[in-house]
Amino acid sequence: MNLDEALQTFIEESSDLLTQMEEALILSEQSEEISEIVNVLFRAAHTIKGSAGLFGFDHIVSFTHVVESLLDRVRTAELELTSDLIALLMYSRDHIADLLEDMTPEPGNVSDELREKGDRLVEQLKCHLGSDESMPTKPNEDTSVAPNRTNCDQRPVRSENWHISLRFAPDILKNGMEPFSFLRYLSTYGDIDHVCTVPDAIPSEEKMDPEISYLGYELSFKSRAERSAIDSTFDFIRDGSQIRLIPPHADISEYIELITILPESNERVAESIRKCGSLTQEECRTALSEIQRVSAADRTQVSRSDIEASPPAPKSNPSERNATTVAKNGENRFIRVDSVKLDRLIDLIGELIIAGASTSMVARKIGVAELRESTSILSRLVEEVRNTALNLRMVQIGTIFNRFQRVVRDVSQELGKDIELIVEGAETELDKTVVERIADPLMHLVRNAIDHGIEPFELRRDRGKPDKGTVRLGAYHESGSIVIEVEDDGGGLDRDVILAKAVEKGLVSEGQSMSDHEVFNLVFEAGFSTAKEVSNLSGRGVGMDVVRRNIVDLRGSVELSSRLGEGTSVKIRLPLTLAIIDGFLVGIGNATYVLPLDMVVECIELAAWNQEVGDDKRYLNLRGEVMPYLRLHEHFGISGKIGKQRNVVVLNYAGEKFGLVVEKLMGEFQTVIKPMGKMLEKVQGISGFTILGGGDVALVLDVPGLMRQIVLEHEREEDTVH
Amino acid sequence: MEKVADRNKKQAHDVDLEQNQYLTFMIAGDTFAMGILAIKEIIQYGQLTEIPRMPAFIRGVINLRGAVVPVIDLNARFNMPEARVSRRSCIIIVEIHTEEGEKQDIGVMVDAVNEVLEILPADIEPAPSFGANIRSDFIGGMGKIKGRFVIILNIDQVLSLFEIADITSVASMVRKSSETAERMAA
Repeated sequence: MNLDEALQTFIEESSDLLTQMEEALILSEQSEEISEIVNVLFRAAHTIKGSAGLFGFDHIVSFTHVVESLLDRVRTAELELTSDLIALLMYSRDHIADLLEDMTPEPGNVSDELREKGDRLVEQLKCHLGSDESMPTKPNEDTSVAPNRTNCDQRPVRSENWHISLRFAPDILKNGMEPFSFLRYLSTYGDIDHVCTVPDAIPSEEKMDPEISYLGYELSFKSRAERSAIDSTFDFIRDGSQIRLIPPHADISEYIELITILPESNERVAESIRKCGSLTQEECRTALSEIQRVSAADRTQVSRSDIEASPPAPKSNPSERNATTVAKNGENRFIRVDSVKLDRLIDLIGELIIAGASTSMVARKIGVAELRESTSILSRLVEEVRNTALNLRMVQIGTIFNRFQRVVRDVSQELGKDIELIVEGAETELDKTVVERIADPLMHLVRNAIDHGIEPFELRRDRGKPDKGTVRLGAYHESGSIVIEVEDDGGGLDRDVILAKAVEKGLVSEGQSMSDHEVFNLVFEAGFSTAKEVSNLSGRGVGMDVVRRNIVDLRGSVELSSRLGEGTSVKIRLPLTLAIIDGFLVGIGNATYVLPLDMVVECIELAAWNQEVGDDKRYLNLRGEVMPYLRLHEHFGISGKIGKQRNVVVLNYAGEKFGLVVEKLMGEFQTVIKPMGKMLEKVQGISGFTILGGGDVALVLDVPGLMRQIVLEHEREEDTVH
Repeated sequence: MEKVADRNKKQAHDVDLEQNQYLTFMIAGDTFAMGILAIKEIIQYGQLTEIPRMPAFIRGVINLRGAVVPVIDLNARFNMPEARVSRRSCIIIVEIHTEEGEKQDIGVMVDAVNEVLEILPADIEPAPSFGANIRSDFIGGMGKIKGRFVIILNIDQVLSLFEIADITSVASMVRKSSETAERMAA
């Protein structure tokens, strides 16, 4: 494994651990029994710290170390896990995530913004941590974390000036920049009180290159300007330069940090800072002695973490220990596999199925009983292999549902609403690619429910609802699809408002009679409304057309139902997988079509209705039920020699039935779906191709699409008749 | 090192050569040409699956060693009557690059394939703005072969995925007009 791969693994592993931390933190807000939760938190922080150390990401190590120390205190019950602390840990978790993210393009360089954020968090964490905790700080590490102090009191330095420390990039002169011009520009923001030049980097005469900038500067700068203004002076030369600003009356820790970071010896740097007047003699001494103490503490820290690596002392009772072992074993059950390998496997199984199907067909043609028997065993095995392989790609939808706990918590706090998220069916499984691509649309819907759905609590009280709003996320399987529901008990949609809006936008004509269902689903129309206008109307519709498009791209569908004052429910229906389905073959003339077997309810001979079916009828009477139907050859405009259309396939999609009249029923077929390709991807009524045993291409019918088309065409015909 | 350099030079030379090479083929009795760089292979016209509700120039799809490839009828694409299948009918498999950088194979059905010829840039005249039987944006240039002009197709334009995807999408939504007329009459 090369370093890049290892790094990738580290990043993936860490983000898994961070997800665990997030879940545990949210759980800890609700749960009474927190000792196992704290253990999870501690282990996660510890592992991240350890792995980051392996890669030399000192800034992550030092930050995570503070978090870990704090968690250790919680674990040993020295500290209580208050809601404040949980919030702080949540921010810290986010910060670690940011640090990891920041590192992805270019390891090791931390942006100033992150650095400052980290500093603030460390401050806060240490206030909780109390006194005697020490933390590792290596003399040369590229981190902004200040070494610890004996207490949390601020120790501002006396200097009223900014301190600016400059080490320009060596090639600054070659790039046509003149360092002094920046100092000159700086004086537009204030006065430079004192400059101390640091010439330590100048090499011996013979090695000196006149085109390289060797000098460093320590400046004491009197100014009322904002940090960002002063900082902006150096925007053009930031690359490769070390530029540090310390505000007036800053904490001494900032100087300590500066001293340790700069390349010159600590004493030299401290001396030049003193010379330019930013530190007094006294402060200088304190800083230097602190640095020495910390590096000593650092050495003890190393030996301490060695001890930590060994199993913790058995202070807990046996049953608790058992629980941990079980959890540990659980972790080991998983193997991390590159998804490309998995895709390759599924592709191969797809080919295997096609080859297997053609073998079975040949066997049937030849008619040797033994051959037929052995091919049927073979195809049963292939089917099992297929199911197992597809299962490998299946993940529980809970992996994305849990993300929303955090969203609901954050957004509802932001809006000052009290909202509970109820998750149901988190264990429902579906294809990983589908999960990934449904996350964004779901996020949109959940945010909408919180933002526009749930009313402010005064209004809820008026309406006689509990103060606490509820958003429900549910998932379950239904005839070959997965159904995901996002439900809220908020204000619901106002039919009249939406209708008025739609008329205004020209989506429907005035006086057109529409059911509630049709009206509500107008919000999915493109250009129905922009975000602002809709939230003013207490409706929803922020980019709902995008939500629908994403879902339709996954061959799914979405619909919305709502009751004014009672709430709104959005139902998303998605196929379980995109690659292989169980198909049902039907034929017309020479053409063969595949229907998803999950949607086939039954097959009936058309003769059963013989008397009732005329050319103008669009409905069949299915045991008292009204069922719309479609003659496929008419719909597809198939001309030429075709036999009598005598079979009706009854299909069920989203709770609605419809009949498809075809000539031949040809049985089940394991179907590897081949994509339509760019040229044909927008074609309606067909969702893909497959290759039959004989090598012919067959069309996979898009049942939801066909149903939509029936409705549209019926409507159009009615319009022309009337 | 020198060898590598030589080989690179030779390859560059080959590409140069190939850039000047064109495949000529017949559509409705006329000779056309296209650059050979985009061509992957030429196969005999064989088993093809029709797609319902498609414009006439979408002939259908074929199984090309496990991949499903759409086939375009150039006769129909040029608004001429659909090609009749004969013994000499061929499908030229062309690789098209989409704007997003993906590749897609497309089959082009022609009446017959003639030969690969070299046409030097000097022998290629710009497309006339009018006077040709086909859309002027389909024409990449007029190549001079043995004193006669042959239309060199701008194959990216002829097989424009963007344009064709739009056409097929609309086509799949409407019943063919002739049938509607029949129904009306009935």
